[in-house]
Parts: sequence; structure tokens; C-alpha cells
Amino acid sequence: MKRRNSIVSRVFTALVFLFLYAPIFLLIVFSFNRGNSNVVWSGFSLDWYRELFRNRLIMRSVYTTLLVSLLATAIATVAGTFAAIGFYSLRRRSRNLLNTVNNIPMMNADIVTGVAMCLFFVAFFTFWSDFAIWFNGVQGLIVLPERLTLGFGTLLIAHVTFNIPYVILSVGPKLRQMDKNLVDAAMDLGCTWMQAFWKVILPEIKPGITSGALTAFTMSVDDFIISYFTAGSSSSTLAMTIYGMTKKRVTPEINAISTLLFITVLALLVVVNLREARAERRGEEHRPVSSRFSQFFDTPRGRRLRRGAAGALAACFLAAVVLLTGATNAQPVVNVCSWGEYIDEDLITQFEEETGIIVNYQTAESNETLYSLLKSGAGDYDVIVPSDYMISQLIEEDMLSELDFSQIPNYALISDRFKGLTYDPEERYSVPYAWGTVGIIYNETMVNEPVTSWSVLFDDQYAGNVLMFRNSRDAMATALGYLGYSLNTTDEAELREAFQLLKDAKNRGVYQSFVMDEIFQKLEGGNAAIGVYYAGDYLTMRENNEDLCFAVPEEGSNWFMDAMCVLKDAPHYDEAMAWINFIASTEANLANMDYLWYGSPNQEALEQYPAYYQELYEEELDQADYDIIAAPPEVLDRCEAYLVLPFETRQLYNELWTELGI
Amino acid sequence: MNHKLSRFAVPYVVWMALFVVAPIVLVVIYAFSSDAGGFTLDNFARMGTYAVVFGRSFKLALIATLICLLIGYPVSYVMSKEGPRFQRAAMVLIMLPMWINFLLRTYSWMSILENNGLLNRLFQKIGLIHLYNSLFGTELSYFPMMNTQGAVILGMVYNYLPFMILPIYSVIVKLDGSLIEAARDLGADALSVFRKVILPLSLPGVLSGITMVFVPSVSTFAISKMLGGGTEMILGDLIEQQFLGGAYNPQLGAAISLVMMLIVVVCMVVMNRFGEGEEQAVML
Repeated sequence: MKRRNSIVSRVFTALVFLFLYAPIFLLIVFSFNRGNSNVVWSGFSLDWYRELFRNRLIMRSVYTTLLVSLLATAIATVAGTFAAIGFYSLRRRSRNLLNTVNNIPMMNADIVTGVAMCLFFVAFFTFWSDFAIWFNGVQGLIVLPERLTLGFGTLLIAHVTFNIPYVILSVGPKLRQMDKNLVDAAMDLGCTWMQAFWKVILPEIKPGITSGALTAFTMSVDDFIISYFTAGSSSSTLAMTIYGMTKKRVTPEINAISTLLFITVLALLVVVNLREARAERRGEEHRPVSSRFSQFFDTPRGRRLRRGAAGALAACFLAAVVLLTGATNAQPVVNVCSWGEYIDEDLITQFEEETGIIVNYQTAESNETLYSLLKSGAGDYDVIVPSDYMISQLIEEDMLSELDFSQIPNYALISDRFKGLTYDPEERYSVPYAWGTVGIIYNETMVNEPVTSWSVLFDDQYAGNVLMFRNSRDAMATALGYLGYSLNTTDEAELREAFQLLKDAKNRGVYQSFVMDEIFQKLEGGNAAIGVYYAGDYLTMRENNEDLCFAVPEEGSNWFMDAMCVLKDAPHYDEAMAWINFIASTEANLANMDYLWYGSPNQEALEQYPAYYQELYEEELDQADYDIIAAPPEVLDRCEAYLVLPFETRQLYNELWTELGI
Repeated sequence: MNHKLSRFAVPYVVWMALFVVAPIVLVVIYAFSSDAGGFTLDNFARMGTYAVVFGRSFKLALIATLICLLIGYPVSYVMSKEGPRFQRAAMVLIMLPMWINFLLRTYSWMSILENNGLLNRLFQKIGLIHLYNSLFGTELSYFPMMNTQGAVILGMVYNYLPFMILPIYSVIVKLDGSLIEAARDLGADALSVFRKVILPLSLPGVLSGITMVFVPSVSTFAISKMLGGGTEMILGDLIEQQFLGGAYNPQLGAAISLVMMLIVVVCMVVMNRFGEGEEQAVML
């Protein structure tokens, strides 16, 4: 009865497959690229595969992904199978009710599931800590941990929760297809219900279990949104790492790991399908080769062997899991949250080798995002590197813990200019990390004349070619600066005027997009003409695109100081002190200054940098570049530091910011 | 049936109560509470401001769903008519992309669509841009494709197309062949066989496909951020912004999530009316 497809419909299908595979094909091709671009081919090489195995961040997240997916699949498959059997033997009404609840995680939008679980975990942790404090107070026998945090455990629970429904959904139909009398017959013949399960039910539903497990595993590996809300700061899956990277530029190592994963899965699926195809043919034909093996396995000796093999496999799996989780827990760690490309990564390795403390290094997008992460409980860090005004706000809200300066002797090296600034006048909470200015970065081949004023961000001259900040404080500051108001104004009329300026420009299509670290990739690739960002990052971009220029607008701008702080009740306080002291050293500051191109607060580093540069690159440091790294007094004079805003103004900012987005 | 077996359900019922029901209850509580903790309807009253976002999300998600349907249905139909070996291979090919994380596939689209990306370079090389400029008297140096609503829709279609194909295919492939033969014997031509037999019978698959594309489309945030450049905010972005983004306000975020859930419930009710289709559909 089946009629062949016409050529047209076959071509159409082929085109759809081409559409599905074109981007993947591209990823694979560019994983062999010599250069680090995803667009320009510069010759074949296997460098990125070599780099991949050296990249700790990626390897660690691949490992977390596989571990959580495997564990979640194993747990969900067992739990889901039992649950499906339980559901099946319930009466119809209660079964329907449970099935509806079971469908929720599958049907619900991922983001809602993620948000709901995040809220739940945080609420539970608060409740738990109250309980633990009370419990530890009334008795001394068992000491309960007082502080629980998001991490691998919550990630696993979340994955199990959204995996089980898929298993139930695939096992359920198989149960319904099963002859209802089989179980009854088995039990009438003297089976216990356990035996009935092993001997009758399980063989019948096996295909359902396999496909359920496979789906669950696929979903686990592909998931990003739910992990994003439940993983906290100490564990990050591959998807989260990639998301962090897409904000800046995805390094080709990611292409390499994807290619490897892709090829592994392809091979696996091909093998499975060939076997299935063979099994199907076996139904028709007589005696395939493999049946010899299955015959062997049906002899008593074979059965013993088979059981032994299954046991050994299970034991290996368990041992691997225990070992791996144990290995990650044994060493002291410190959780650091900073900004993207804001550290010379060799420093992390160096610190780990010197002290044996593992650094979980994560990045947030902006001060506002960091604040949300901390408030929602999703970010569980020891050391953070917020900017000046955010430090004041965190101090005000009692979220920081005082530093033990006896453990930070390198604090003495910080220049007096940068000590006791308004955000931390008594020098109790922070150690300066780096400072810089905000300015306009433009591509000189794409503009008509050198840029000197904020006005280019608001007039139509370069419409569609301008990149604006994606954080409220910086974006509003450009408008306030243009209007000649203080960047710290609390006057609602002034703020609304600035907001209107941004809103109108956005509606007229001036902004190509709102960016944070995406700006690197966009300006370097010549995809936009003008952007506004931080001075040090400009120099990083210029390394990849010579046409870029920088200007601190004549109306004045913002100068900022980012400083290291430790969160209240940080679980790794001493490790945090060691880290801060290490970063405050002159050597680390020199390395960072060279890598970030931000000004160092360390007096010696500031003075020695030109010499350091000369020695390293064997050429003299351009004074103009040094002035961009460490702005001279005449530039700083027209810049203003952000101060913390009163609560009402902050709420206004949030409101206006959300409104600007829509 | 044997009721002893029903005790197997108990652990999972407890699990669901803890990790499915309780979190949702919490979202509801948050949605109706103010910053200080009291009961309020403010979060919903403020929702009016975001009507534009709701409108845009629905528009983009609906267009994406429609395109997925228009592509997915014929593909499923064509696949179901091929031999078993082809079908198996095609299934593998559709599942396989999911193993490369969707963020990465979307990122790959970024490098294709950028102003200075692969497609524009290609157009430049074959003189298409030049041709366009001389035809329409414009002075483009590239076709703007990134950071547009079109790019966001493309991202949605690309990522969620398999969710449309799989359920439709799994329903069509199980259609009883004798029905079609009977229709043909009774004198129906190819078109009316399709219209009167195949289409109505595949409706459960279509409906579940629509839900499975629409719900993630309307709630995504990564795709719109990456391909839309943050100028085309949709519901997912709005929720993310209230929790982990630049404007911390979990109560408002919970309220929007609640609305989101209502949308899903509506979808589910519609689907349940059409019976069992969803089960075979979601699973493969």
C-alpha cells in the first residue's frame, strides 16, 4: 500500500536535514581550524584538541555533566520503573491524578521549573539552618551542618526530577500492553510479588525501560536552563560553561569537545541500530551468529558468568562514582566569582600548585547580576570582586564579612591613593583588585570622524551600529553623562529624562544590541561600529582588531574600582584570605595588569609595569596605552566614581531597566 | 489487579510532593507576596507594563510553531513512507543534534548570521550584495540578519523542529494501513485520503508537537539573548532578569512564571481533550 515519495518531497526532506546539520557541520570543521575564528579558515590543525585536554574548566564541566547525567539517569530509571508499576496497579482515578502531576515537569516551561526549584531549595536551606542551629543547641551528640548550599546535590535532584517522567511515560504503555493476567497467574502459581516482578513484569517492559533511560540521558545532557538555576556556584555543567563563553567568545576547544561527543554518540547509535536491525532480521531468518552466544549464556555456567559480569559492572560504576565525588571533596577549595576575562588564568594554576587549594572560578555578567545571584541564593561564593558602589550596598545590607588583614600582609603594597575610598572608608571589607575608566570604543574605518562625545550613542548617525551596555547602572550613566547630570543623581526627573533618552534611541533602532562581554566578539569581528565599555578591555580588543580606538568622552565618565570581598559566613574563609593575599602580591598584579590591561592598585606594580612590559615583549610600552590602562589625573578629574544609591532610587533603576528591555 | 504492587508508587509520590508540587506552591506564594512579605496583588497589577513582552513572545513563538508545523508535518509524512532502514536512520539523525548542546548550535548560527559572518561573506563573494545594491540603489555592505526578530524565530525553529517531527511521525507511522486502503477502495483520491483519513488521525501528534514547540519557544531566554541581541526581549528573558539578571525582583518573576504556568495548563487541557496522543508522541 505504501507509495514511493516523489523526488520533490525527497529533496525537501534532504534540505531539512541539511538545515539541521549545517551549523553542526560548521562546528566540526572549525574545530580543526588553525586560527581561533569560527568564520575564517586559516589551515588545518589539531591544536584545539590538544588544548582541550589542558583546559581544566572545560574538562571539569564535561566531567560534571557526564556524572550528573549518568547518576540521574540511573536513579530515574530505577525509580521511574517502580513508580510506573505502582501507577499501573492503582485505581483509575488516583492514577489519572498522579499522571497529571507527573506530567508537570515535562510540560512546564523549563525556566519555570528551574525558578521554582531554586526558590524551593533556598527556602529549604533557610529552614534547615534554623533547625540545625536549634538542634545543635539542644544536644551535642550529632552535629548537623548549619549551612547548606546549591551544588552538585541540588543539581542531581533537579535532574532526577525532570528525568523520571520520561521513564514513566515510556514504561507505562508497555505495562498496559502486557497481559493483565500474567502477574495474577504467576502469583497464583506461588510467586511472591518480588518474584513476579523479576520474572514476569521486568522482561515484558524491558524495551520501555531502555528507551526511557536513553531519553532521560539525552535530556540531562541537553539541559541548560534547569541546571542554570539549580547548580549553584561550585559545580557547572558543560552547558553552563558554554553559556558563560557565548557571552564573550567561544573558544574552539568547545568545538573540539562537541565534535568528540558527537562522534561518540553517532558511533553508539549506529551500533545500537545495527544490532536492532539484526535482531529484527533474526525474527525472519534462521540462526544468526550471535545466538550461539545467547545459548551459552543460558547454560548455568553462562548465567553465573552473566550475573558476575553485571555485578562487576555495577561495582565498577559505583566505585567510579564514589572515587570521583571523593576526589573532588577531599581537597580544600575556594569559590571565586569575578568578571569575564578578568584574570590571568595562569595565576589560578600557580595558586593551586603553591597552596593545594582548588579554585572554583566563576564569572558574573555585571554587578547587578552578581547581586541577584547572591540574593537568590544561586551564587554561593567565598570571594567576589564587585565594584565600588556595589560594595557599599553589600556592606549596607550586611552581606560581607570583615577581612582578617593579619592573613593578608600584601595589603600593605596597595597604593595609599586606593585605600579607604568612600565605599569602604574604614578599610575593613575589601582589598582593591583593579581600576579603570569607562569610555567609547569605535572602529575608525566605520565612523566619519573621531568620537569625543557621548552623543554618538544617542543620535541617528550610526543607527544600527551601536552597542549599548546591558546593565542598568552603566547604561544610565552614559545618558546622565550626556545630559550633564551627576552619575549619582537621585533626582527622579533627571533619571527619567536619561531613561527617555535611552528608550527613544532604542525605539529609533540606534542600538544594534545590548551587550556585556559579547562586545568583544562584535567589535573585533567588525560587526558594529561603536560600543561603550571598559578601558582595559579596549586594549584586549585592539590586539585582535587594529582599527579600534578609544576615547573617554569630554563630558566626563565613570571611573571604577573593583575590589575583592568575602561573603558573610563564607564556608572557606581561610582559603579566601590566602587567595586574596596571593592576588594582592606585586607579581600577581603585574601579571594581571599585563593580561587585563586594567590599572593595578598595587603601587609597585603600577611603577614597574612599563619595565615589565619591555622585558616581556622587548619593545617599549606606548605612553598613550599606559594612560589608557592607568588614566592620568587630567582624565580622572573629569570622571566620577559611582556611589551607592538609596533604596528608592535603586528600585527606580530596576523598574526603568525592565521597562527599557520591553 | 494486584494492589500490592501499588506500594511501588509511594516513594515517587513523596518525591513529587517535595520536588514538583512544593516548589510550585512556593512560586504561587511568592507571586502574591510583596517585598516585605505581606499579601499583595501588585505583582499582577504591574503586569500591564509588560504587555508588549507578552505580545512579542506570543507572536514569535506562534510564528516559530507554525513554521515548524509547515516543515515538520511534510517531513514526518515523507519519512513514514520510506523503508524501515531509512526510517531508523532518519530517527537517529533527528535525535543526534540534541547531543550537541543547543547553546553551541545557536552560537554556530551567530557566526553564520553576523554582519561580518559566513553568509554575508558568501554573499559578498558571489556579488549578491553588489547586485542588490545596484538593483535597489542602496549602499549596503552586508544584509543585517543578526539581532532581528527573524533571527530569533530561526533559532527557535532550528532548535525545536525535532520536537515537532518526532510526535507527528510517531503517530503517522502507526496509522492503520487498511484504513487508507479502504478509503482508496471506496474511491477517494490521494488528496481526500489525506484530508479525511490521515490528517484527522494524526491530529494528536500535531497537537502535541505544537505544545512541545510552543512552550519552550515562548519561554526561552538564551536564544533570544544570543540571536536577538537583547533588543527583542521575550517572556523567558523577563523571568530570568528578575531572578538572576540585572533587576532583582523574585516576586515579580514568580508572578510572570505563574502566568507562564497557566499558559501551559491551557495547552495541557486542550491536549487532554484529544486523548492519549501525547503519550506515544513525547516518547521515542
